[in-house]
Amino acid sequence: MTDLQLWLSAVEMGCFFGMLALAYYLIHVGAGFFNFAIGPYAMMGGLCTSWLVITYDLGVWPAAAAAVAVTVVLAAVTELGVVRPVQRRSGGGELPALVAVAAVLFAIQQLAGYVFGYPTLPGQSLATFDPVTVGEVTVQPSSLLMIVVALLSFALSAVWIRSTRTGRLLRAVGDSNRAAALLGLPVNRIRLIAFVLAGLVAALAGILFAPKAGVNSLSGLAWSLSGFLAVVVGGTGSVWAPLFGGMLLGLVEVFLPYYFGGQAHVYGMLFIALLFFAFKPQGLFVRTVRA
Amino acid sequence: MTTQTIQPAAATAGWDIRRVPGIGGLALGGIAAVLILLWVGSDGYKQTLVTSAATYALIALGMYVPYLMAGSLSMAYSAYAGIGGYAVGLVSSKTGLPLAVAWLVGPIVAALLAVLLGLVTRRLSGFFLAAVTLLFGMAFTAFLIDAEALSGGSGGLGNLRPLNLFGWTPSHYQVVLGSAVIVCVIAFLLDRLRLSPWGVIVRTMRDAPRAVEAAGVRVPVLNLVALALGAAIAAVGGGLFTYSAGSITPDTFTLNIVFLAIFMPLIGGAGTPWGAVAGAVIAVELTLNFPAIQTSGTLLLALGVLAIMLVAPRGVVGYADKLRTRTWALLRKEPDRG
Repeated sequence: MTDLQLWLSAVEMGCFFGMLALAYYLIHVGAGFFNFAIGPYAMMGGLCTSWLVITYDLGVWPAAAAAVAVTVVLAAVTELGVVRPVQRRSGGGELPALVAVAAVLFAIQQLAGYVFGYPTLPGQSLATFDPVTVGEVTVQPSSLLMIVVALLSFALSAVWIRSTRTGRLLRAVGDSNRAAALLGLPVNRIRLIAFVLAGLVAALAGILFAPKAGVNSLSGLAWSLSGFLAVVVGGTGSVWAPLFGGMLLGLVEVFLPYYFGGQAHVYGMLFIALLFFAFKPQGLFVRTVRA
Repeated sequence: MTTQTIQPAAATAGWDIRRVPGIGGLALGGIAAVLILLWVGSDGYKQTLVTSAATYALIALGMYVPYLMAGSLSMAYSAYAGIGGYAVGLVSSKTGLPLAVAWLVGPIVAALLAVLLGLVTRRLSGFFLAAVTLLFGMAFTAFLIDAEALSGGSGGLGNLRPLNLFGWTPSHYQVVLGSAVIVCVIAFLLDRLRLSPWGVIVRTMRDAPRAVEAAGVRVPVLNLVALALGAAIAAVGGGLFTYSAGSITPDTFTLNIVFLAIFMPLIGGAGTPWGAVAGAVIAVELTLNFPAIQTSGTLLLALGVLAIMLVAPRGVVGYADKLRTRTWALLRKEPDRG
């Protein structure tokens, strides 16, 4: 584990998983459940950008902006059109929400396949400067952008949640929907904001990660699981916890196949999931509440 | 178990077939199956559609017990169906045993694996269980590709021997017929199971696990039995599909099928196992046999599921049942008015 290039790769992977986990975290804090459609949101961001660039010869930046807009709309529709009505009818049971989210995940995959086609498209890099060489490591512009944007979005989220009015409202609503509603807080608006922000973060993550391995309409499910695992491993005690979980998974994703062969990361993921779900389902970082 | 409920009738008015629980569903399902088989005739493509629908139905029926009766969404069913399929492939290519043994071994192995996975994940529910079981399905596919000596790698297993039951080799049409019969029988038995005391306990466990535990029933054991039963049924379906397709690869049973199997009971109606069968028929019709919008059949299905979930939570069978009771009420009222 001395090859620095591999470490860079792991950090980049970790930043991607961390951003997906941040999207999970935002919805979990605001709405109290895990939105499995995060991976398909990221896929939508990456695939839509590539498709616009390849098919309509659009510039990368306008294409990325359009893709982000589409994803944010999808996230808002998920909350307004599916999750909210289903939760209202089922009265807070977990299974109906889970099935509804699974249906959304499946529908977005099929929609993307129908509109953009099923083959894998190459990702479009937003940054076009030359690769930077630091010592013996070559940093690709897309990697640099991924890491910078991930750190930025975590920092902004931390500031937003801790010190703005809306951020504090988000935590209040997430802690207890009912108490927040009794206090007259705008529960529905805050939940919608959480979904929209999560869609934004996920779309950015997808766009920035797509250059690494390309993207197709079925990438979303694996990304959903990786992001979920990252947020479970990290825990929901701090805003930065998802990034830590993501980094850990990034190491697994890069180093296991390197040492144990092509499919080892799949077994590794399952092993980590079983380990954490059995012994530490609350994650590594837990918010301690004084008695 | 359910004979208790029909005993009074048997004592007074003799045995009445109309009072056997679940017989109405069986009659309707049987009629539908006969109509479908008449429509199919000797058309090879339509026969493939029927075996696909039967496989989907068996996987959805397998998920019925843990998912709709016990209320825990385990998504490892692609692996269980795969085990059933590979049992057929392995018995055919690696042993000299009669092929029918595969339908004995496959479901047992799948049930054992389901118990093992159930033991490891016994404290999980909801999102956590769904995530672990999805990862398990992915890891199983990876294992099938890796273990080339056993599973033939990504090429899979092919060239299956024909089935031979005591010297009788069923024709392709008879296999199609047999798969329809198996689906009807299992749906009927599951319907009976749902109405039996055991089924009532399992369904109560979904809504009030603590009350069931307090009443002296071991909830974890009940969950494991439900999972094992479901896995065995899915493995039967996997074996059936592999036999009629003639080969199996790691891509035969993907996670796509698991998602479809979650949606089938919602489309058909979650109230009875026949809803899952109806959903399977509709799913196959939309995804495989819809020439006008072939590529978007699955999309249509996904959007349809969302619409059904929001507008008609009881599904097609639920609606049909409501329509039937309304019509009966209307027919009975009519003479009074006149």
